[in-house]
Amino acid sequence: METDSTIVVELPPVQENTPTFLESLVVELPPVQENTPTFLESLKIILMRFHFLSFLSIALVLTFWHFISVYKIFGGTFLPTPWAIVQEIWRLMHQELIGKNILEHTWASLHRVFIGWAIGCAIAIPLGIFMALNDFARAIVKPVFDIFKPMPPISWISLAILWFGLGEESKVFIIVIGSFVPCLINSFNSLRLVDPALYDAARMLGANRRQEIMEVAFFGILPATFAGLQISLSLAWSCVLAAELVGGRSGIGFLIILGMNQYKPAIIVAGMVVIALTAWLITFGMEHIEKLVCPWRRDIKV
Amino acid sequence: MSHTIKCTCRSVCKTFVQKETHFVPVLKDITLDVRENEFLVLLGPGQSGKSTLLRIIAGLELPSSGEVTLNGKPIQGPGPDRSMVFQTYSLFPWRTVRGNIEMGPRFKGVPKEERRRIGKKYIELVGLNGFEAAFPHQLSGGMKQRVGLARAYANSPEVLLLDEPFGQLDAQTRYLMEQEVLRIWETDKRTVIFVTNNVDEAIYLGERIVTLEGKLPGKIQTIIENPLARPREHNTKSFLELRKKIISLTRLTL
Repeated sequence: METDSTIVVELPPVQENTPTFLESLVVELPPVQENTPTFLESLKIILMRFHFLSFLSIALVLTFWHFISVYKIFGGTFLPTPWAIVQEIWRLMHQELIGKNILEHTWASLHRVFIGWAIGCAIAIPLGIFMALNDFARAIVKPVFDIFKPMPPISWISLAILWFGLGEESKVFIIVIGSFVPCLINSFNSLRLVDPALYDAARMLGANRRQEIMEVAFFGILPATFAGLQISLSLAWSCVLAAELVGGRSGIGFLIILGMNQYKPAIIVAGMVVIALTAWLITFGMEHIEKLVCPWRRDIKV
Repeated sequence: MSHTIKCTCRSVCKTFVQKETHFVPVLKDITLDVRENEFLVLLGPGQSGKSTLLRIIAGLELPSSGEVTLNGKPIQGPGPDRSMVFQTYSLFPWRTVRGNIEMGPRFKGVPKEERRRIGKKYIELVGLNGFEAAFPHQLSGGMKQRVGLARAYANSPEVLLLDEPFGQLDAQTRYLMEQEVLRIWETDKRTVIFVTNNVDEAIYLGERIVTLEGKLPGKIQTIIENPLARPREHNTKSFLELRKKIISLTRLTL
C-alpha cells in the first residue's frame, strides 16, 4: 500500500548513444548563441538603427534626381539639380519676389489656411453635433450636404473669383469649403462612435444629465473631432495652393505660377519643396497637439 | 434564522418591444428577496434574462409590470446607492485608473482631497498600486476589471451589481479574480448580486444561487442555499456533488 502522497514522475533516462559519423559532424557545429548575433544579423541591426535606411533611400533619390538633371535625360534645362534647389531657396529667402521673400510667401499661404480652416471648422463642428442630436436638423441639412460633399473644393474657384474677386476673400472661401466637409462628417459621426455603455456606467455612478454629457459625450467625441480637424487642415493646405495658382499676388502657389511664367523651374521646384516641408511640419505639430489633447488614444501609425 | 431584506423584486415582468408590433417577453413573474450583505448569484444560460433583471435592479431598465424595491422604496432609476460592474468593463478611456475610480465621488461633488483619499483606499483594496496613472487601454483584462470593481466600490453603494464581470477573462485570470472578489467582499461587505452563466463560478462565490430557466421569458427555477463552507475548493467531493445537482436541475434547459 502506498502511503507517500507525493507523485514522482519518472523521466526517461538520457540516452548516451555513440554518435554516428554524421551526428558527430552536427555536434561539432558551433552553437548559435542568442546574444552574439551573426554578421548578417548585426548588419541588419546597424541598418535599422539611426534611420540608416531612411537616409539611404533619400540619398538614392537625390542622386538619381541629380544625374537626371545633369545628363538632361528629359531634355532641356527644366529640371535643376537638388543642390541648385537648395541654393534657390536660400536666394529666395534673401531676395524679394513681388515684395515678399519665400518665407513671407509661405506665411501668406499659411495665414489664409488658418483663417479659412478656423472658419470652416467653427461652423462644421457645432453643425455636425447638432445634426447628430437633432433629427430635424439632420433631415434638413444632410441632403444638401450630400450634394455638396462630392464636389472638389477646387471646383469652386472660378465662382469664388467671380463673387469675391482676386483678393483674400475668394481664397479663404475655397479653404472654408474644403475644410468644412471632412470636419462636418467627423463631428456628425463622432457622437455615434461613443460607446453607449459608457452612458450607463456614468448613470450608475450617479451622474446627472449635465455630468453625463460633460463626462461621456464631451470626451467621447474628442478623438473623432480631432481627426476631422487634421484631415481638414491638410485639405485646406492643398486648397490654398490651388486657389493661389489661379489668382493672387502672394503665397507659395503664386510663386510656382511665377516660376512657370518666367521659365524658372528652380523657383517652381523650390516652391514644391517648401510646400512639402510646411505640410510635414503641420502634420507633425498636429500629431503632437493630439497627444496632448487625447493622451488616452492608442498610437496609430500610418 | 432571520435576515434583513435589502432588495425585493415583486412579480417583475419585462417585455421588449421591437418594431412596435413584435413583443419579446424577457422576464416573467420574478419574485425574489435579496438579503442584506449576502452574495447572491443569478445563474442562467445565455438569453435567460438574467442581465435584464440586473439592469432592472440597477434602474437602467424599468419593469413592464411588477415592482423592485430597495430598502422598501421603489427603484425608479439609477442611483449611487447601487453600483455596477460591467462585462465589457465600460471604463472611461480618457480617465486614468485613479480618475476612473474617483468618478463616482466626483459626480457627487466630493472635494478633491477626500476623493484622493477614497481613490487611494480602493486602489489599495483591489491591488492596483503603481498603476494609478495608467490609462485603461494599457491594462490587461483582469486589471481592467479590478478598476471596475474599485470604481463600483468607491461610490460606497449598498448593493453591488456584477454583470458577468469575468466573462471576458481567460480561465486562470477568471479564477484569480473570483478569489479577489471574495477577498474584497469579505473585507468590505456589501449586498452583492452576481450574474453568471458558469456553474463553478456560481458555487464558488454564491451564498445563494438563483437559477433561471434557459428560454425566454426568464423565470426563476430554483433558489439554492449554498451549504459549502468558505474557503471553497473546486475539487472537493461536496463541491462536485453540488455541481452535479445544479447541472441535473438545470439540465433540461441548459
